[in-house]
Amino acid sequence: MLLIFLLGVPLLLAAGIFLARDARSFGIVNVLGYFGMLIASVLLLREVVVNNGLVTAYHFLVADTLSAYFIFVIAVVALATALYSIGYINKDIAQGSISGKKAKTYYLLFNLFCFSMFLVPLVNNLGLMWVAIEMTTLVSAFLVGFYNTKKSVEAAWKYIIICSAGIIFALLGTILFSYAFSISGCMKSLNWTEAVSTASALDPKVIKIAFIFILVGYGTKAGLAPMHNWLPDAHSQAVGPVSALLSGVLLKTAIYAILRFGFIVIKSVGFAYFGHLLLLLGIVSLAISCCFILIQKDLKRLLAYSSIEHIGIIAIGLGLGTPWGFLGALLHIFNHAVTKSLMFFGASNMVRAYNTHNLHSIRGVIKALPYTGIIVLLGMFALTGFPPFSIFISEFLIIMGAFNKGAYVVAGAILLFLVVIFGAFIYRFSEMLFGHLPKNMTVQKEPLSGKIAFAFLLILICATGPALIYFREDLLCLVQILLPL
Amino acid sequence: MQEVSIFGLLVATFLMVIAKRTPALVRSFRYQSFFLFLATLIIALEEKQTSLYIVAGLIFILKVIGIPYFLQYTMKKINVRENLGLIANIQVSLLLALGFAYMSWVFSKQLMSFSEAMAILPAVAFFILLTGMFLMIFRLTAMAQIIGLLVMENGLFLLASAVLGGMPFFVEIAIFFDVFVSVVIMGFFVYRINKLFTHIDVNRLSRLRG
Repeated sequence: MLLIFLLGVPLLLAAGIFLARDARSFGIVNVLGYFGMLIASVLLLREVVVNNGLVTAYHFLVADTLSAYFIFVIAVVALATALYSIGYINKDIAQGSISGKKAKTYYLLFNLFCFSMFLVPLVNNLGLMWVAIEMTTLVSAFLVGFYNTKKSVEAAWKYIIICSAGIIFALLGTILFSYAFSISGCMKSLNWTEAVSTASALDPKVIKIAFIFILVGYGTKAGLAPMHNWLPDAHSQAVGPVSALLSGVLLKTAIYAILRFGFIVIKSVGFAYFGHLLLLLGIVSLAISCCFILIQKDLKRLLAYSSIEHIGIIAIGLGLGTPWGFLGALLHIFNHAVTKSLMFFGASNMVRAYNTHNLHSIRGVIKALPYTGIIVLLGMFALTGFPPFSIFISEFLIIMGAFNKGAYVVAGAILLFLVVIFGAFIYRFSEMLFGHLPKNMTVQKEPLSGKIAFAFLLILICATGPALIYFREDLLCLVQILLPL
Repeated sequence: MQEVSIFGLLVATFLMVIAKRTPALVRSFRYQSFFLFLATLIIALEEKQTSLYIVAGLIFILKVIGIPYFLQYTMKKINVRENLGLIANIQVSLLLALGFAYMSWVFSKQLMSFSEAMAILPAVAFFILLTGMFLMIFRLTAMAQIIGLLVMENGLFLLASAVLGGMPFFVEIAIFFDVFVSVVIMGFFVYRINKLFTHIDVNRLSRLRG
């Protein structure tokens, strides 16, 4: 019942836009809808954890702890984005950059995009999961090219072509997985609930080849370097609120897909193969994003490269294979989603106020946009892993996992890149936030819905850290059940 | 009987490699899809699976008739010059394609270790897949990229029918629907690119760097 509700609400909201009088009033209905979704996702998480099992509907939809967790992450970011969208879109209409009809199109696409993302962790069938992930690309391409400028259409084209080509490899991998199942005579249904239990009987050679294709395919969608080229373009050109959804949760749905196949691989050929591949991709992502962060001139691209960095950290955490590392990676998924959404909202406010993406032209944000300025300052410290905030905890767990395992090189590499990126962020943001205000800028009013979205995310960022320390033993137990070691 | 369709698939794929203009590429894509339809039909007859008949029918309706027609329609509507813009010339392209054919044969023999006869269809499928990727990278127009993607998908469908006797039925239907929708959306973006830039040369889309 919960699962149907979680998928039904975005669809109902998408249909509701045709009945709505104008986009302004619909925005509020939208927020109420996603508030309901958040409650439903918490209920789902509770049901799965307490009963310690699966919630299914018609064998077609299924949720275990992992999917319920991803659903929760998506629901949190979707609610924040729905809140922030109200002020953002209203201002767009007021400035005349989009028409009222186009604003309705925005809400339609927004809801379809959320629907496709909620579908990914809920479908049981690995083939249909592929379809759901391809659907996220197709819908969000319109949100990337939304303003119909030369830059945004170029970004949308690169996005749709690179991701579609990449995901074809994922389908190839899925077909090979299914071939491995069919030659071992186990099953043909491609349901992951059955796949994991029969995994040990599979031909390891086919599984190894198949997983490479899966990793290339879904890795493209997750933004793992060197398949990341589409990401900075798409994330910097998308509509402000949607950048948060793209960076915060879309990348994570691809990570979810990699994990689902990963569990089968771990059972079939052992952990080392899975772990080494993810560690390699993770470190390459960290290194490449670090270089581009240092030379970046565009605010939103800077944040997009920082997403590649964090996806790299998540991949390293998953690849370490120690319970602490795995727990850290899973928590990092939530922490990064929340913090990056906050930063993208702040960046969108800044880009709009100064009317430029260029880092060197944005100065004195604290004076022009006091509220946004302070939030972005806090968010910047949170994003680079400063102690009281939640990202520090998850990064700390991952590094601790690396030390536990004796992977000192990996731990050293993470620390080195983190320090460099921290320096670059401090330098860039202190210039932007505290520099001299340009002459023609005045103090600007910020919409209430945006402020609420900021407050909501900031509370999560600050509160998660202590909560994690308090509940660490329980969380570790959950992870040990989840991880097939 | 299957030999005919394999031969046809290979010829159509090589025709795509040497095509210099978009209409020729679309035409060869239609031939390729037709032989894919034939190959799927033969597998369906051999394995007596109802779902594969339906898949073959869908291939015929969508890939032999629907999508090529839609591509021709888009070409006519945007009315740009038809040259594909080759990065590698015809001779180099042909040599590369021969290399792909050999690579896919070796790869497929490795993968289907138990019989060589079983390896032929997967080898052709991998060859088509690689050629599709080649078209996406070494041809410069947005139209060629769409066709390259479709060619890769043709390779996958052949692989799925050859090694699995088709995916589970509803998965296959969903993938078909997805392919069709993605082509329509890409066609829409080609139309937009042409309107904004007055060309569809992807090599000249270079506003976003670094």
